[in-house]
Amino acid sequence: MGNQADLLQGTLDLLILKAVSLGPLHGYGVLLRIQQISGQQLEIQQGSLYPALYRVEHQGWITSEWGESENNRKAKFYRLTAAGQRQLRSETEKWNRMSSLIGGILDIKSLKEAEEL
Amino acid sequence: MKLLACVKSWLSWILHRRQREMEMEDEVLFHLQTFADDLIRKGSAPEEATRRARLEFGGVESHKDAMRNSIGLRWWDDFCGDLRFAARIMVRNPAFSVVAVLSLAVGIGVNSTLFSLADALVLRPLSVAHPAEVVTLVGKSPSESGGGVSYPDYRDFRDRSQSFDGLVAFTTNSFAFAAKTGDLPDVESGMLVSGNFFHVLGVEPDSGRGFRPDEDEVPGRDAVVVLGHDFWGKHLGADPTIIGRSVTLNGIPFTVIGVAPKRFTGTNQYLRPAMFVPLMMFQKLAANPDWKMLSQRDDRELEVKGRLKPGVSLTQARAELVTIAAALQRAYPVTNRDQSVALMTEMQVRTLRDPSSVALLAMLMTLAALVLLVSCANLANLLLCRARARSGEIAIRLAIGAGRTRLIRQLMAESLAIGLAGCAVSLPLAVAGVTFLSRVKIPSDLPLVISIKMDQRAMLFSVAASVLSVVFFGLVPAVQASRADLVGGLKTGGADRGRKHWFWGRNTLVAGQVALSLVLMMTATMLYRGFQSKLIAGPGFRTDHLLLMSFDPELAHYKDPQIQQFYQQLTDSIRSLPGVRSAALTEVVPTAPAQHQQEIVAENYYTLPRDRSTRTVWADIVGDGYFQTMGIPVLSGRSFDTNDSATAPKVAIVNEVLARHYWPNQNAIGKHLRLNDDKSRELEIVGVANASTYLRLGEGPTEFLYLPLAQNTHSHITLLVQTSGDAMRLVPALRDSVRKLDASLPIYDVRAMSDFYEQGAVGLPRMINQVVGAMGLVALVLTLVGLYGLMSYSVARRTREIGIRMAIGANRASVVLMILCQGLTLILAGLAIGIPASFAAEKGVNAVFSSTSSDPFALVIVVPLFLAVTMLAVWLPARRAARVDPVSTLRNE
Repeated sequence: MGNQADLLQGTLDLLILKAVSLGPLHGYGVLLRIQQISGQQLEIQQGSLYPALYRVEHQGWITSEWGESENNRKAKFYRLTAAGQRQLRSETEKWNRMSSLIGGILDIKSLKEAEEL
Repeated sequence: MKLLACVKSWLSWILHRRQREMEMEDEVLFHLQTFADDLIRKGSAPEEATRRARLEFGGVESHKDAMRNSIGLRWWDDFCGDLRFAARIMVRNPAFSVVAVLSLAVGIGVNSTLFSLADALVLRPLSVAHPAEVVTLVGKSPSESGGGVSYPDYRDFRDRSQSFDGLVAFTTNSFAFAAKTGDLPDVESGMLVSGNFFHVLGVEPDSGRGFRPDEDEVPGRDAVVVLGHDFWGKHLGADPTIIGRSVTLNGIPFTVIGVAPKRFTGTNQYLRPAMFVPLMMFQKLAANPDWKMLSQRDDRELEVKGRLKPGVSLTQARAELVTIAAALQRAYPVTNRDQSVALMTEMQVRTLRDPSSVALLAMLMTLAALVLLVSCANLANLLLCRARARSGEIAIRLAIGAGRTRLIRQLMAESLAIGLAGCAVSLPLAVAGVTFLSRVKIPSDLPLVISIKMDQRAMLFSVAASVLSVVFFGLVPAVQASRADLVGGLKTGGADRGRKHWFWGRNTLVAGQVALSLVLMMTATMLYRGFQSKLIAGPGFRTDHLLLMSFDPELAHYKDPQIQQFYQQLTDSIRSLPGVRSAALTEVVPTAPAQHQQEIVAENYYTLPRDRSTRTVWADIVGDGYFQTMGIPVLSGRSFDTNDSATAPKVAIVNEVLARHYWPNQNAIGKHLRLNDDKSRELEIVGVANASTYLRLGEGPTEFLYLPLAQNTHSHITLLVQTSGDAMRLVPALRDSVRKLDASLPIYDVRAMSDFYEQGAVGLPRMINQVVGAMGLVALVLTLVGLYGLMSYSVARRTREIGIRMAIGANRASVVLMILCQGLTLILAGLAIGIPASFAAEKGVNAVFSSTSSDPFALVIVVPLFLAVTMLAVWLPARRAARVDPVSTLRNE
């Protein structure tokens, strides 16, 4: 697990929104999808996914429904709500702005370059 | 939006806890199983897969806790736990719990009861749709601030203003109602309303329909009536087929088109209208061709209410109406000179129209708040005392790591448990109180009701009052307890540490209780004594052997000369009956709820500008023989007689207060005054009558004017018959004589004056006395409990000290004296605040009843009694102190 990145505080909620935005998923499915789309780069401690799911659902960004899973078990499926869609959009923008900002800062090579900014 | 979602999810967790917990369990289980399945597919052995799944998932219970935390259930679960713990503690200390809960329950009960009364009299909103949007338009002139509006003015305001979703006009009116033609009609009180009345107020009838706009356009054309729900149920057996049928009002056939909805109880809190008729039918119903209310701009009889358009403020609407009123002044200078308007909220109108009720309720609510304060002081005292007793437990909790906030929360939960229990116990008390208050009747056969009831509003008030009280009075003890001295608390386990400031707060609380309950007792005594002295002095008129009977000849379509003729025949025939000593007619009966006001100008004010010349006084139109029948002495001059006919010079009689106001130290006889500043209506004063009671017992000096009936025709009249025997026994004979005169004339409000006086003038003040007296007693008992509790506690804590004192030679008497002195200091401190406060309170009470009586003698009665009772509460613990056995106390050390 050494090569896997630790998650920044608060990014798990955003990842959940993103994962669910691609189609309804149960909790285990959310976990798999995040791992899959991150190319197995991100690993989430399995149990800690659920408090985050509950927190996001509590805010009304996702909603849940009991249904049948691919292995014919009863499972709870999460789906993005309209409010969740808005939240995902604004959070994504915020994230992009932040990462380019931080990236820009980290790219600075010399004191001269910093003074020019 | 987000908040709403949170609240929704939170509530769903609280309400369906078990189901949600099961789902959470299932969800975790599903995860573990599916993960294990995947591992098996990748080649693990089943047991190994399950084990690994569990391992990688982590601690199931701690994750579940984190999930619950995500919903914000943590504090709720803690809170429930705290409440359960609090309930256990309460059960374990029954004496403490009973005293605390009862103290609070009594305080809350008194407040809820009085809130219900205030709600019934003043606070309850109009029973229309969106009552907050409905405002009242009142006429304003230099002499009147809350007057009516004339119909032509109403029409102009309605058509020109832009601020309202409709303006409605209405007035109360008596109708002679008969379900079938030929039935003997009953007199019912109803309303004449503008055609848009139901529509604008949002109270369209449930069955049938309201008025169409065109049904209030042509005078006298549309004889349609909407019945009041109460009236329909009581008098017509809630018969649904009544709609479409014909009934008669004042002898005219009307078609019933609808029944008002049950929730609509009229436009004021007392009167439930029996029926609603379009205003345009006024002329036809009144049958008095001289009274042209609908066309005369200066006949300001109507009440006007409007529904503000959304977004229009009261100030904007008021400004618009004032502009229209100014335009009307210019257009109609004769009738509208100085006439402006004001726009008021329902509360403002009620306060303006019935200031005495509002003042009375303000007084009662203040006294009730004092009772609540006294009971909360008890509660705070008990909590302080218990916090002290539990200091050992609290020290242990703190020592093993409980946070202060958490500790305060737990102690507050205990207060809350007491508060909730107190609230629950207070409800039956309040219901009993409300039942007691509902006994009061308004003396009239008209459908006047004070509907005092425990509804959601009163319940909500109780819950809010109790929760606020315990939170407020529980916080200080809780904070203090959590500040416990750890080392000391653990060392002595709650025994005496003699910290002075612990007692400071408690002493102040008890002294305050003493002061407050003294104020309440003094107020009750002063009210009671004042009332008794007024009752003994009497109202200044006869109340025994007097029968009242009301008529309204206009309802049977009598015209002016006919009415006068009927009155003459009526009094003549009644006076000739055996058993009748005298008989007279009067417009109003003293102490009746509805009274006549008259604007007058006395001759020495004729030349002053109008706004300073007129004076509004209470008045009555009376027939000859009135003063003799009522037993009111005429001090000088003469009373009205048969010579004061319509054609004779116009005369009036004033009471001594009015005479003194205008002609101090002069003889008022022969002086003149005008009615309504009308030069053609100048009257000569021919007599001065003794001042008696006019509106209610205990009113201040009231100026009063009597006008002769023969010169001032009035249709709604009450016959007073003085009998030699029991008044009610004469009723059949009287009814017979009236029937002989006119069988179709309805008779109503037949009653003995003694009953009328008892119910109207005596009943309400007596009830107020009882209520205030009960509050005084409750406060006293609560104070005694508080005092006794404090002294007992103090004795218990000083046991060791007392033991030592006795061991070194103090005798029992000196110990008793020591404790008594301690208690006496408290009581005297309370009295020192309470006595001046009582006299301040007396001033306030006098303002409410507009009287000026002062009763220092009440002090002489109350204070010694008060001292005696409170000293008893001190003496009992003192006696216990004297029984302290020095040997065993010292051995305990």
